[in-house]
Amino acid sequence: MPRPRITLLGVYMTGMFVFLFAPLVFVVLFSFNSGSALTFPIRGLSLRWYREIFADSEVTGAMWNSVRVAISTAIVVTVVGTCTAIAMTRYRFRGQRAMGALVLIPAALPGLFIGISLVAMFSQLHIGLSLVTVTIGHMLFTLPFFYLVAHARLAQFDPLLEESAEDLGANAWQRFRLVLLPMVAPALLGAALIVVALSWDEFLITFFTIGGSNTLPLLIWSKARLTIDPSVNAIATLLVAGSLLLVAFTRRFIVESHS
Amino acid sequence: VAAITSAVGTPTLGGTMPRRRVALALMLLPCVIVLGFGLVVPLLLLLYKSVRENLGYGQVGGFSLDAYKTAFSTAVFRKTTVNALWVGAATALISVLLSYPIAYFITFRLRRARNLALLMIVISLFSGYIVRIYAWRTILGANGVINDGLERLGIIHSPLLFLLFSKWALLIVLTNLTVPFTVLIITGAMQNVPKEALENARDLGANSLRSSTGVLLPMTMGGAISALAYAYVISAGDYITPQLVGGPGGTLVGVSISDQFVRIGNQPQGAALSFIVLALFALSYLLLSRLQRFKGI
Repeated sequence: MPRPRITLLGVYMTGMFVFLFAPLVFVVLFSFNSGSALTFPIRGLSLRWYREIFADSEVTGAMWNSVRVAISTAIVVTVVGTCTAIAMTRYRFRGQRAMGALVLIPAALPGLFIGISLVAMFSQLHIGLSLVTVTIGHMLFTLPFFYLVAHARLAQFDPLLEESAEDLGANAWQRFRLVLLPMVAPALLGAALIVVALSWDEFLITFFTIGGSNTLPLLIWSKARLTIDPSVNAIATLLVAGSLLLVAFTRRFIVESHS
Repeated sequence: VAAITSAVGTPTLGGTMPRRRVALALMLLPCVIVLGFGLVVPLLLLLYKSVRENLGYGQVGGFSLDAYKTAFSTAVFRKTTVNALWVGAATALISVLLSYPIAYFITFRLRRARNLALLMIVISLFSGYIVRIYAWRTILGANGVINDGLERLGIIHSPLLFLLFSKWALLIVLTNLTVPFTVLIITGAMQNVPKEALENARDLGANSLRSSTGVLLPMTMGGAISALAYAYVISAGDYITPQLVGGPGGTLVGVSISDQFVRIGNQPQGAALSFIVLALFALSYLLLSRLQRFKGI
């Protein structure tokens, strides 16, 4: 193993990682700052801002809203996405390619356009904005990501296994429950966790579909826009910690399903 | 759940044809509902509202092209639209240029640390959209980390105000948001480039810059185009970053569109603006894919 040399490319990589992680590092550092000024050097370490936000019902309420939306989104998208992926991999039908492209559009369209088109519909149908309309937006936005993972996993699955199960006398439910599901479940669970992570952090669509209540990202926006409030760093750290925890879990499932 | 269980068994296997068709229909139904009522109907309604008279509060009246006329004749709308196209193109280009060396390093220089490096990119991708924008505000602001540091070092005596609330701040933050995406897309494209291709080029006398531009670039052109298109659409369509760091000079059309829906309540105007922007996106994409075909010869 050659000794690591200092190369131009190595310096560049270091610089880029500093650029990518500087925001995260500053937010986390300032969240543990005992003073309220957002400048270096920080005065000392404390959990002051965390105590403050956990005592604030506005923050805990927004967090609870985020959790509820993320879990409802993941449950619905898991069912919808799995059905779609099964239909796309196990059947041949007219318009299949168009369908495959349509499913991916919400991921390619900026959140702004999804958000305003949903608002255009909700206001036309006189549907009031609530966490339900937020969840509808999140379902749409996360479906492509779930579908891509589920489709890739189901396309790998050997149809001979299901045929052998049928030869051995398994009925449709048994073939799904005992053959297909156990083999694809880890990948689907991993994909569901990605959905939770995407929903947890979603801002651009939520901004339009939320009405009066708040999710965690929306709360950060409303606090950061108007005032300099050091407790925002603690809320932001909480948000990112949640996302990264989900990414860590996702990795476990995806890696396991590959081995 | 009943739909899944009744349908799943039938594929490729037993069951009569009509039963198979029913099963397929049941499997597709949830997706059709979600995409129908979440995407197709809302976009069609948006299109419909763009050619209607505005009655306020999201309600519309009879046929009218006023919204499109206003979109083209109002200076602010023209300026923010042009801004969005420029800022989007600049962000996309900077992101892709910054990503190439990273993707190259991850693919060809790292072996055991490759997965770790990719994980770091994924982590930065998931480190919070609004969180990162907010963080850059505290970094670039008048009392922020950079100005404070420079003042303490005695390099400057008054804060550099152009750091925040400017087009530069907008470019920095949007690039920061798009680089993880473009790195992942281009790294993905480089997986298909055999290491031997680069080595052969070098054996034939190409230096490392020539081997990368002459061999690597054509072989990863598809990935580069996807990365450009994605970064372009994401940044040109952003409406939050301009509000938090852009300042008066760095306003994009997304802010105008969002204002029409949220503050002003003139949905036809916002809808017309967004279809103009979508048309410009489509046009840009066509130009970009033309470029690829031209380069591909």
